[in-house]
Amino acid sequence: MSSTPTFKTHETYTPEGEFDYVNSRESVRRSPFPFPDDEYMYSMNLEPHVPTGDGALRAEFDIDEHYVSECRHRAQMLEDMPGVHYAALPHMLEAQWDLLEVIFEAYARDYPEHFTLTKNGNEWHWVNRLLQIDDTFTFGDPSTLPMDPMEYATRQAQGEFIVLEEKDNDLVIGAGMATERADYSLRFNLGMHFYEFHGPVPKLHEMGILDRALKFLLRMKPGHPVRRVNWSLTVNPRLETSVETLPDWAPDRATVTEENAGESVYLRIELQPLHRLPRSNAVVFPVRTYLISLAELVEHAPDWAKRMHRALASLDHELVDYKGFHRYHEHAVNWLAKYDDGAPLANGYPWLEGGIQPGE
Amino acid sequence: MLITGIKSRPTYDELTPLSSGHRHVVAAQGSGGAPSLRLLSAMTPEQRALTTLIYSTESFDGDNHLAALTTESVAGLIPQSSNAAALETLREVLSTAKMGTRLYLAGSEGFIGTAMQVASSFGMDSDEVLREQAGSLVRRVWCAHCDTYTDNVTMRVFECPGCHLNLVVRDHYSSRLAAFQGVKADGEVPGELPDIDEELDT
Repeated sequence: MSSTPTFKTHETYTPEGEFDYVNSRESVRRSPFPFPDDEYMYSMNLEPHVPTGDGALRAEFDIDEHYVSECRHRAQMLEDMPGVHYAALPHMLEAQWDLLEVIFEAYARDYPEHFTLTKNGNEWHWVNRLLQIDDTFTFGDPSTLPMDPMEYATRQAQGEFIVLEEKDNDLVIGAGMATERADYSLRFNLGMHFYEFHGPVPKLHEMGILDRALKFLLRMKPGHPVRRVNWSLTVNPRLETSVETLPDWAPDRATVTEENAGESVYLRIELQPLHRLPRSNAVVFPVRTYLISLAELVEHAPDWAKRMHRALASLDHELVDYKGFHRYHEHAVNWLAKYDDGAPLANGYPWLEGGIQPGE
Repeated sequence: MLITGIKSRPTYDELTPLSSGHRHVVAAQGSGGAPSLRLLSAMTPEQRALTTLIYSTESFDGDNHLAALTTESVAGLIPQSSNAAALETLREVLSTAKMGTRLYLAGSEGFIGTAMQVASSFGMDSDEVLREQAGSLVRRVWCAHCDTYTDNVTMRVFECPGCHLNLVVRDHYSSRLAAFQGVKADGEVPGELPDIDEELDT
């Protein structure tokens, strides 16, 4: 187990807070870097979610030095726009309790120094020392919590959480805590079926990836989570980039130049550890987001920066458009090019044997 | 039949009598009168006698089939002059509906979508409902920024009557909201609009 990070409490993810967000060297090097090859290929890349290495894949639900500030940011976003970032369909209550249990049990097991869960039958005692929370409640009785069980649990969890209910061999979005979503609307997507909410993603349908992914997910069993990584780019360290607030964050995209790309463009890594929930049979799709600026990558993980340069440079144009960075894609590539000497790099995810390491 | 590359857009049916039904409710609007007449002519006299027909004469195209529908011998015909009133009638009819009721919806995508919201609120699912899109393909659009719904949108870019932003209509449809998604069109650089002359698939 790696050393306990120092939790930052006053970081911000907004221009009002002047984007006061920085990664430590350890924070960069422990992240689930998503480029196994010089050329990026769309794939399902699902693998069993078993503890691996001593970085972001050690715990069932990873937390890092940004945990406290990210939870505070979430609380602020929920207060600013009620009903926009958290929503649950009425019949999702059982799945909500399932999710609370899965998160709290995992946190208490993986981080006993920060979290303690004590169960006495259905009387549960939850202590979260990082956020100074000490509560007792009755599992299964929503009247013993100040809010929905899912909202209560995910206000104390890093990353976003989408809960999918199984219905007629399909997965339907039933609930979500999404203060960190990349250009979609939770309210709009609520109730959508698997193929519907993947509708705007290019190539997926044609490549048959969705058919295989859905079949795979429907076979998932409780206690056997799987994971995948995905990525995007975000200008400035903004976690909250929803459709609703697009007028606030989209102008950032036009501010990137070849000179400032290192500081303003962030690699947005999404770690997605999917779980089948035990009672409701729902599937939870968590998205744990890591924001790392290109400059931080060069400084702390130079081989990953080289790899990212090559993956970005060879990226399919349809994907560039879909991910929304056509306006600054070239600036990011040119900025990174200065730090790529063309040396051969290892292939494979960094957490796998022989995979690409951050470099010195 | 409407076929597009939009994965989240509903796939529409062709209205045909559902023999499993003990009662039939038809809710139609404007151009949807034509498929309703076709449906009725395909029904047996017994099925027609168990059919309630709700028809709104509000129409973007100006199509009105009320006169022809009036000649049909059904259990009941309830004409309304607006889609909103027709939906309210549908709500009343479904509130007394029993198991075995089958629902047929015909008209614009916006009408079908909002009528489907009513049906869903009574727990009806797609097995019990047939939907046929008729008339022009005007879209109903939800503004992601101010929550306003706009009916009969025909252009890729339009001004939201709620917040007055220029919205671009994304090819992404939410059945729960019965609407396409509209987002600020010049979000990245104010004033830099996409091709504003593009007509939607009307």
